[in-house]
Amino acid sequence: MSVVAFERRQDAAVWTETELDAIFAALHAAIAPATGRTWETGVTESGDVQFYLLGPRPEEACQLCVSRIGGQYILEDGSGRLLFEHRNLDLVALHAKAAVSSTPWLMVRTVMPWFAIRNTIQEKFEPILVEGEELLVQVAPQLAAFA
Amino acid sequence: MSQADLAAKLGLKYYTFVSQVENGFSRVPTELLGAWADQLGLEQRAFARHLLMYYEPELHRLLFGAESKSK
Repeated sequence: MSVVAFERRQDAAVWTETELDAIFAALHAAIAPATGRTWETGVTESGDVQFYLLGPRPEEACQLCVSRIGGQYILEDGSGRLLFEHRNLDLVALHAKAAVSSTPWLMVRTVMPWFAIRNTIQEKFEPILVEGEELLVQVAPQLAAFA
Repeated sequence: MSQADLAAKLGLKYYTFVSQVENGFSRVPTELLGAWADQLGLEQRAFARHLLMYYEPELHRLLFGAESKSK
C-alpha cells in the first residue's frame, strides 16, 4: 500500500480560524473543563496540520487526531485507526463528535446523508440558483411592465 | 527515513499517525512494536525497551534498573 501524497498549499501549516471553529463547535462538550480533556495542535514533518484531542492528565493520551493533508481531512483515533476521511471538515467534525461522545452511531449514520446532500446542493446547485435569482431580478421589472 | 516512508512500509494509508507518535501525542501500539522496529531496522527487544523507558519510566526502572540507561 502506498501512502497518499498530496500537493501542499503554502498556508497549509496553520489551521484557519474557520477550521478551528468547526472543530471546537463539534467538540465543545468533549473539551469542557469537567472532562479533563485538553487539546493541542501540531504539524507533521511535511508541514501538514494536526489537531489532537487529549485525554485527562497525567497521561494526556491522544484520543482523536484530525489532520489536514492537501484539503483532505483525516480523522484517526489515538491508536492510528482511520475513522473517517473527507474534504468537508463539518462531516469529519461530526464523526469526531460521535467518536468521543455518547452520540449513537445510528444517529450519525442518519444525519450523514442529509449533511452530504446539503453539502452537494451548496457546492453544485447554489451558484446556479443564485444565477437564476439574478436573472429574475433583472427580468422582473420588465415582466411587471407588461402586466 | 521520512514519516511518509515509514507509513508506507507499515502499510498505512496516511502518514499522520507516524507524526502523532513522533510529536509525542500517541504511543506505538504494543501489537505493532515489532513491525515498527523491523521497518526502522532496529532490534525488536531493544526498540520495545527503549520506548518503555518513555512510556512507563517507573516500570522500566523496576524491570531494568540502572543498567537500562546505558543501553
